[in-house]
This record gives sequence, structure tokens and C-alpha cells, in this order.
Amino acid sequence: MTNFLQWLMDPKRRGALLVTPAIVLLFVMNIFPLMWSFGLSFFHYKASSMKPPRFAGLYYYEKVLSDPVVWERFQTTAVIVTASVLMQMVIGFGLALLFAKKFPLRREIMMLVLTPMMLSFVAVGVFFKLFYEPTFGLLSQAMMYFTGEPFGLLATQAGAIFGIVFADAWMWSPFVMLLVLAGLVSVPDYLYEAAEVDRATPWQRFKTVTFPYVKGLLLLALLFRTIETFKLFDVVYIITNGGPGTSTETIAVYVYRVAFQFFKTSQSSALSYILLFVVIVLTNLYLYFVNRREREA
Amino acid sequence: METTMRQLLTTGSAIALAGCLVATATPALAKDITIQMAAPDWGPTRFMQEYANKTYKSPTGNNVTLAIDFIPWPSFYERVAASMASGEEKYQLVVSDSQWIGTFIEGGQFLKLNEYIDADPELASILQDVHPALTEAYATYPYKSDNIYGFPQMPDTKVTAYRTDLFCNEGEAAAFKAKFDKKLPCTYEDWESVDWDTWANIGEFFMRKAGDELAGETLTEDFFGIAFQAGKGYDFSSGQINAFIWQNGASIWDESDQPNAQAVGVVNSDKAVEGFQNYLDLLQYSPPVWKTGQMDIFQINDLYLQGKIAAIINWNALTAAAIDPDVSTVSDKTAYALPPGTVDENGDLVRWDNIGGQPFVLTTWNSDEVVQEALNVVKWWLTEDTQAAFAFNGGTAALQSVMNAPGYNEFKPWNRAHVELLPWQRDFWHVPEFFELLTQQQEEFDKAITGQKTAKEAMDSIAEFQQELLTEAGRIE
Repeated sequence: MTNFLQWLMDPKRRGALLVTPAIVLLFVMNIFPLMWSFGLSFFHYKASSMKPPRFAGLYYYEKVLSDPVVWERFQTTAVIVTASVLMQMVIGFGLALLFAKKFPLRREIMMLVLTPMMLSFVAVGVFFKLFYEPTFGLLSQAMMYFTGEPFGLLATQAGAIFGIVFADAWMWSPFVMLLVLAGLVSVPDYLYEAAEVDRATPWQRFKTVTFPYVKGLLLLALLFRTIETFKLFDVVYIITNGGPGTSTETIAVYVYRVAFQFFKTSQSSALSYILLFVVIVLTNLYLYFVNRREREA
Repeated sequence: METTMRQLLTTGSAIALAGCLVATATPALAKDITIQMAAPDWGPTRFMQEYANKTYKSPTGNNVTLAIDFIPWPSFYERVAASMASGEEKYQLVVSDSQWIGTFIEGGQFLKLNEYIDADPELASILQDVHPALTEAYATYPYKSDNIYGFPQMPDTKVTAYRTDLFCNEGEAAAFKAKFDKKLPCTYEDWESVDWDTWANIGEFFMRKAGDELAGETLTEDFFGIAFQAGKGYDFSSGQINAFIWQNGASIWDESDQPNAQAVGVVNSDKAVEGFQNYLDLLQYSPPVWKTGQMDIFQINDLYLQGKIAAIINWNALTAAAIDPDVSTVSDKTAYALPPGTVDENGDLVRWDNIGGQPFVLTTWNSDEVVQEALNVVKWWLTEDTQAAFAFNGGTAALQSVMNAPGYNEFKPWNRAHVELLPWQRDFWHVPEFFELLTQQQEEFDKAITGQKTAKEAMDSIAEFQQELLTEAGRIE
């Protein structure tokens, strides 16, 4: 036993020993379930049934890709992702520019601004659901002050999408701000001083000095937020439950229904792998742009 | 011999005491057995746990513990389904919405009870005593067949909760009479003749703006007439819309007539569309949240408890909170009555409605001994004394002998309506495709509620979807 421990603790093996628990955990919790569900996507199988799986080949991939409901949910997701990420980038960038400057109570205010991204999705969802509630919600009460009528933001498709986009942007703009701020504070002061000597306009300063420093981090924020928003589930499920009708039902909410309400395990697995493929494509697009930028530099 | 509620409760206490004495004399061979039950976290199941802790002793002499796993309602189905699907075999008893039983019977997780009932006269006698509407809805699969899979845990129906300070106010009654030439219902008996037209009149009458007078007082915020469920989640509009469809003489897809029953032409019949339109027409007298498709059973309850609505139709189990002063601002001015009905071609008021509540069922993976102990728990829950204690503490009884006992209607103010409504109850589909049928239907109903589709367009879409899905599943030929 002592010999075994000595052999195990040999400095040559220490590195492998240290990473083994993480690798085992990763395999058990991530890789194995991924492979298992990938396998299930090629079988007829319902998790609610005790019947054994039967081979189905590519049947569920064909079914999912030819299902108009799936494409409709992809479109809804694309609209929400585009609007939300755009709003997060604009607001996050603006906040970063603001907090890059020094002013009284800057740290305290920044703490408050960062608070939303530290909250749980469920808390944010419930908060905004109550905020938008037309009978007693704050938004409706404020609108009643001007119009005299209750206001139901979530009563229309456009309003419901805006409601979700706003909630998501409220939560995640601070994340974009943090990343961009890291880039802004890394710009050396002498570059700004040189630009001032060259009598560069504020726009020229931003374009030639500031932006090149934050471009990489901005792209990173764009990638992270696109992928995360693409998977948006909690906030949608709580605020609108996909309604009115199916107006705000994202692909993630649809996968949840197929997997855990209809128990179509094979179909939901196939759909999940198509989602994963989309996310991988997005990631590679990012890597392509980053690599191109490095080559240009 | 007529049994009064007091006698039932006294007998129950005596039986509990006797049980304790028997337990102390239990032989040393007694086994420790835990019956794990999955149940939603709310009053009826909390009471069951507390009462079991206090009174339950297994007649076999084993030390049997009922351990309820309380699961929040919003995630209840997912948690139960995940447990059933995972093969963990954790639960011996499961409280299940009646609609789910087909899924888990076909999946092999819920146990058929006929042979146990046939072999046990006590169980057979209990089944005879359970109200037939409850057995049909909660226990049979295929629906309305003779196969029995469960017993009632918490029977539920929808009742009207209304504000007596408004409906019995002389000034309001006079104004209502002047406007509609009808009596504003005040007593239970008044409500017995209320139809949906009068319900609409009530809704219109009590819609008031901030600054208006209501029962002699000036309102500081808007007040609303009526509300019933109109939410997109789960079955939070179908549960009410089915009542309008049935009362209008139409049907949902009839699973008891497979494979002949069709969806197209039935689900979207003219009468069904008309029934749905009647439902939609009433929404305008509700709080504005209906426009978002989120006026679910919890929302209408909350708004009523806050004193913002004159009358609501909701499940007993939820409206019971209206008389609890800890949570309700209208606890001292709420009464309960029958919900409105529809006058049929014979001039009679029909009250067909969608049943609520849940059965509890046994799972298939237990030893004979554990099955027997689980059945003993079922029998204990459905003894007259336990049911009487349950009803006394806010639940609703499943046994006819208890609900027909003198004094039962006075136990709780909704009991009378609940007993009268039971014969009018029907149920959703029980087939495993239930959740797909329900989800698509809820989406289409929601589109009509939020003005994206007409009633006809929504019903046509539902009928076509059901026809295709059920044909693919081999349930329609």
C-alpha cells in the first residue's frame, strides 16, 4: 500500500493526479450524458416509457428540420437574440464609457449597476412579470397616470418581445460593461495625450485609440451574450410562458416542452444537437474573426 | 342509521386511540416500512401528512410511516415525470392529475388495482362509497372503462366566490334591478338560477373606475366585475372553456369511443365554437391581465383576495383562502355558491364542468407487502373518520357517506356547492398524448383570448392538430 502511494505521488504523476478528478467529473456530468443523448437521437425512445429504444436512423433529424413549428421558434429566437444583444452592447458600451471616467460615488454606483447580473433568472423573471402586470404593476400604474387606462405590455406580440428583451438587457448589459471597461482602462494614457497633441477630434480619438483596444473584448461579449441569449429559457418561461399564443416561445422553451412535457426524448435530443451545432457555428465565427484580427495585427 | 358529522369525528378519535393501543402491543417481528408519496405542496397534502403522523397505524402491525415528498405545484409534473422516467423507483404512492394517468399506465409505472379490490371487501366497499364521478375521472383507464388505477386524494370542483358586502347591498341591488330588471344574487339560493347572461350582467355592472361609488364608498382604484381562468399555462383556460363547450351541447374528442371518435367536425363544431365565443365575450368584464393571456387560477385568486373583483369562479382548493383573514382582505365578506350554468333547449340549467383535484395511485415496483401497506394507507385515508376530519379542516370528502351526512354542508361554506356540482363533472382526456393535446389547445385558446385569432380559427386549428396527432398515434381511424 505504501509502495502504491509512493508510486502514485511521484512528481512525474502529480499533474495527472491533480487533473483526474476534474476529468472524471467532466466525463460523468457532461461528456457521457452528451454522448448518451446523441445516441438516443437515433432511436425511437420516450423517457416516460419503460419500452426499450428502437433504431430510427436519421428519422428525428429529418422530422425536426422539416417541422415548420421549429423554424417558427428559430425565427422568434433570432428576433429576441438580435434585439437583446444589440441593446446589451449599446447600453453596456455606454455604461463602460461612463464608468471609465472618474466621478464622485463611482464605485458605489457601479456596484448598483452590476447588481442585476448577480440575481437569479427566476428572481428577475418574477420581478419583471409583476412589473409588467396590467392591474397593479408599476408600469401600468405609471401609464395610467398619463392615459387613464391600464397598460398591458405583454398583450401584443411586439410588446411581449420588447418586455423580454428589456428584462434580458437589464440583467446582462452590466456584463458587457465589465468586459468593455476592462479594455478601456487598459488604454495607455500617453496614446490619448498623443492624440490630443495631434488635435484629433473626439470621434477620431475613439476610432483610432479607444476602439482598437476594446474591439476584442467587445467581440467576446458579443459571442457570450449571443450564445447565452440563444439559449434563453427562464426569463421567457416566467414572464410570458411563450405567449401571447406562441409569440415569444423561443427554441429553448420549445425544446423543454418536447423533452419534459411531451416526453419525446429522441426528438428533443435531435433538436438539442441542432441547437448545439448552431452554437458551435457561432463560436467558430467568433474564432475566425479573432484570428483574422491577429493576422492583421 | 344516519351518521352525523360529530359522530364521525368522535368515532375517528376513538379509532385513532385504539390504533395507538394496538400499536403498543405490536409483536417484535413488526417491520419498519416507509411509504414514500409524491404530492403537490399545499393544504390538502400537508393535512394528510400531519394527520397520518398523528393517527395512522398499520393494521398489519408493521411500523408504517407515510413520508410525503412535498413538491411545489409549478414543477410538480416535471418532478414526478422525471422520477418515473429515471427508474429510481422512489415512490410507492403518487398524487397524480387525472390527465397524466394514461402516460404512466402505458409507461408501466402505475399499478392496476382491480385484483386487489376484488380480493379485499373493505377496498371494494370503499370504492362503492366513492362518488362515481370521482372514480370515473380519477381512476379509470381507458377513460370510463372498468380498469381502476387510483382513489381520490383531493376531489375538487370550481365554485363561485363572491362579495356579500356588494351583492347583498341594497343600493347595488336596486341599481342592478333598475339596469337589467333582474335580482342581484345575494344568497346561495339566488345563485342557483344564475346563468351566463346574468354573469355577464354582473360583470358589466361591477366594472367601476377609480372615483366611482361602490356600495356607498368612493373607489380609489379601478374595480372589476368578474373573473375566471384565462391563462396560457398548463390547463388554465381549457379547464373553464370545456365547461362552456359541454354546456353548449358540444364535445371534446371522445377517447372512450376510440378509434371511431373524430376530432375534426366535433372539436370545431358550430356549437363548440359558439360555446368558446360565449367564454371570450365575458372576458371584457375582468381585470386587464386577461389581455395578456395570463389570468390563471392563481392570478384571479390573488386579485380577489386583494378586493379587486366582485366575483370569481375558481377551484375550491384555492378559493378557500378567501375566508382566511391572514391572506384575504375580504375574508369577512365572502360567500360561496354554484357557478353559472347554461339554459338548455328544455329550459333547464346545465352545469357541465371540468373536474379538478387529484387521485393517488400505486406504483408497480413494490413487493406484495409494500403494496398491501400502501393500500392500507389508501384505506385509512378513505375511512369515514379521516375523510370527515379532512373536510373539517378545509378539504373536500370523496365518500358519499361523508358528504351526505347531516352537517357536512355546514363544515365549510363551499361544501354545499361542491356536493351539488359533483354529478356535473367530466374530465379531460387521459391518453398519453394528453400534454401535446393540451399544450397546442392552450396556445390556440390563448391566441383567441389575446385577439390574434377568432374563436372559429382557433377551434379549427385545434381540431386539425388533434385529428393528425391522434391518427398518427392510432387512436383515430
